[in-house]
Amino acid sequence: MAKATPSNPWTKPAGRPVVGKPVPRPVRSADVQAYIPEIVKGLGITMRHFFKNTKEMVLGQKPDPVLHSLEPGVTTISYPEEKRPYPERFRGIHRLTLRDDNSPRCVACLCCSTACPAQCIAIEPAEYPEGDRRQGYERYPSSFVIDELRCVFCGYCVEACPVDAIRMDTGLHAVPYDSREQFIYRRDLLMSLSDREGSRLTANRRHEPGDPTHPGLSREAADH
Amino acid sequence: MTVVELALAIVKILIVVMFLLNMAAIATWADRRQGAMVQDRVGPNRAVVYLPSMIVRGVVFFPPALLGALAVFTATRAMPAPVAVEALVIGAQFAVFVTWLGLLVFCAAARRGGPINAAEEALARFDPRSIFYAGVMAHVLAFFVTQAVPLSAAPTAARVVCVLLGALLVVTGAYTALRVPEGKVALRLLGTLHAAADAIKMIWKEDFIPPKGDRLLHSLAPLLAMFPALVTFAVIPFGDKLCFEDNGDGVFGFADLPLLKRTVDQAFTCGGHVASLQVADLNVGILYIFAMAGTGIIGAALAGWASDNKFSLLGGLRAASQMVSYEVAMGLSVVGLFMIYSSVRLGDMVQWQAEHAWGIFVQPFAFFLFLAALAAETKRIPFDQPEGESEIVSGYFVEYSGMKFGMFMTGEYVELITSSALLVTLFFGGYHLPFLDRDGINVVFGETVLFQYKMTHLAVSLTYALAFFGKTILMTWVQVFFRWTLPRFRYDQVMRLGWTKLLPLTLVNMMVTGIVVLAVDSAPEGLRSGLQVAADVSHALVAVGGFAAVVALIAGLLEPIDRQRTLASTSARFAAAAGGTKASPQQA
Repeated sequence: MAKATPSNPWTKPAGRPVVGKPVPRPVRSADVQAYIPEIVKGLGITMRHFFKNTKEMVLGQKPDPVLHSLEPGVTTISYPEEKRPYPERFRGIHRLTLRDDNSPRCVACLCCSTACPAQCIAIEPAEYPEGDRRQGYERYPSSFVIDELRCVFCGYCVEACPVDAIRMDTGLHAVPYDSREQFIYRRDLLMSLSDREGSRLTANRRHEPGDPTHPGLSREAADH
Repeated sequence: MTVVELALAIVKILIVVMFLLNMAAIATWADRRQGAMVQDRVGPNRAVVYLPSMIVRGVVFFPPALLGALAVFTATRAMPAPVAVEALVIGAQFAVFVTWLGLLVFCAAARRGGPINAAEEALARFDPRSIFYAGVMAHVLAFFVTQAVPLSAAPTAARVVCVLLGALLVVTGAYTALRVPEGKVALRLLGTLHAAADAIKMIWKEDFIPPKGDRLLHSLAPLLAMFPALVTFAVIPFGDKLCFEDNGDGVFGFADLPLLKRTVDQAFTCGGHVASLQVADLNVGILYIFAMAGTGIIGAALAGWASDNKFSLLGGLRAASQMVSYEVAMGLSVVGLFMIYSSVRLGDMVQWQAEHAWGIFVQPFAFFLFLAALAAETKRIPFDQPEGESEIVSGYFVEYSGMKFGMFMTGEYVELITSSALLVTLFFGGYHLPFLDRDGINVVFGETVLFQYKMTHLAVSLTYALAFFGKTILMTWVQVFFRWTLPRFRYDQVMRLGWTKLLPLTLVNMMVTGIVVLAVDSAPEGLRSGLQVAADVSHALVAVGGFAAVVALIAGLLEPIDRQRTLASTSARFAAAAGGTKASPQQA
């Protein structure tokens, strides 16, 4: 009888045989080895999926993308033909809200660009022209630039804004473009975006100085 | 060879080449579309053409209107009684078909887009499946009713049916045109345009030749890969022989072409001129196919060599060794068929299958062997090691771009279609349909005649040609399915399968077939007539099975999908079992 090779005491303690966990081995019965029945089975499975999906496509009976993902089976969402509905408070691409006369609500206070952790907002403030009733009272952004590539979509700018001029309720997400230049969203583009209902205004209507509903100080009442 | 034979040959070549090239383009699309449907992806559908709705209305309306006008025109012409009987049967079947298909489409449109009038509202309440079943019933009923019409009343009945068919076609076309929405209509055709867009792209792409490659061989290889695939179709018959009557001069001239014989008998006794529906009726038949398919190796091997790329070289070597190995098994696997059919001409083989049983029933084992060898020959999954994207990028055509790459792809798909046609011809009766003989439908078991229906030579020939092309397309569809089902073999597995499994099995099959053929030849008469009955039963199996499959397929596609919500978690299941927790849905 051949002498047993001495086992390494570090890996295999002497005197005790190592019993591994039994691993399930692939079945190698005759019908599996013959391969053809297995091919037929496989063809059956692929054809079942084929007919099911073809039918749904031809008859236009694609299921609801959210509920469908709860079901067993293949649950692919064919983006961009189908989209998962975004939640109501989804933070998408920014927009600049407008006043009733389609001028920007933004007063160029620079709160948003200060709050921005990614430093992706650049604003150049300007005074309203002589004779405008807002002249000397508030400013407007002559340039308002957001670099959507740098943006981390944290929403701090929206929270920082004192006049509800910047919102992220467009429901759009960042789009793939060809060049970095296309990700620089400028003032007019931001002003042209609307919320999901299509409104470019804000839900919080502003009471302008001079309006009878304006609750605050007017220029005449102020002593500075 | 007379001028008319030359003209016929050119027409036949055109038919074959147009079929192959168009089907290759469609197969590239179908391959992707099938993969998308299996894996629930979107698939190719980006290519789109926007058509104004007026043009779409025209496209929808004019073809049925033209067909309708043709039907009405047929009704106005003089009809002798035998023509009238056939026109009556065909017209009635078409009318039934147009009716149920139109109702089905309108029902689907009404269910999908909402009914636009009271009639549609009523139609939308029907289950589409009941419309289809009623259509099938109406087909059978119409056949027997039209058979029961006496010969004297046939011309009047045929006129009525033809006018009815014309009216149905025009009304259906007009109503469909009305339902076309206003504005621009996006024409995607399920992504078929994608294949066209791909072709345009490939034509305009840069034709790159590696700087150190062999310029001549590099350009020659795609030609050599595509050529054999195209020419192998030459000997495959895509229809039965045609018999033209002589106009009196004894020479086959253009004046004889309209004189297609009215009816032929089963033995095909033709006093005039015979034209076969295959490009070249060679006496070596299938051996020519093997010779030409063997040439296909050279294209792949040359491409691999001339590209000056190690991946290409590996791919070319793999292609060469694999195709040479499987050539042996492929040739030997059909020797059993030669013994049974006792001919290598493909036309004779189809004729034997028409008289006895289809090849799949007499040589089922050889079918699988041949299918495997054929997949290896056409370098398709699971035998696509020469391409092997995951191992050698894309093998022998990795250095090809533009239309040269396109030629490799086209050649591959043409090979796929040619191989399907070969499979159909050898194992699935070629152009033959069960119980459809040259003189019409004869449901015969042994000596018992159950049912007979005479058809004209023209109708039978057309049905045969359509059957052949239809079967080829179906076979292509099945072959493409292998791609979405099977993983690729390892290269050594391919070689081992070819030499140590397929080759011995083909030899065994050959010997067993030889013994059985000898035994049957020397068997008593009773056993042989019993075999004939068994062969007829196999035809009946195919006929009933095919009919049931088509009905089940359409009914399955029309079956409405009812989804039930599955509950995702056990607690939800417990809650549901307890009668639910909340009456109203949870608010955000």
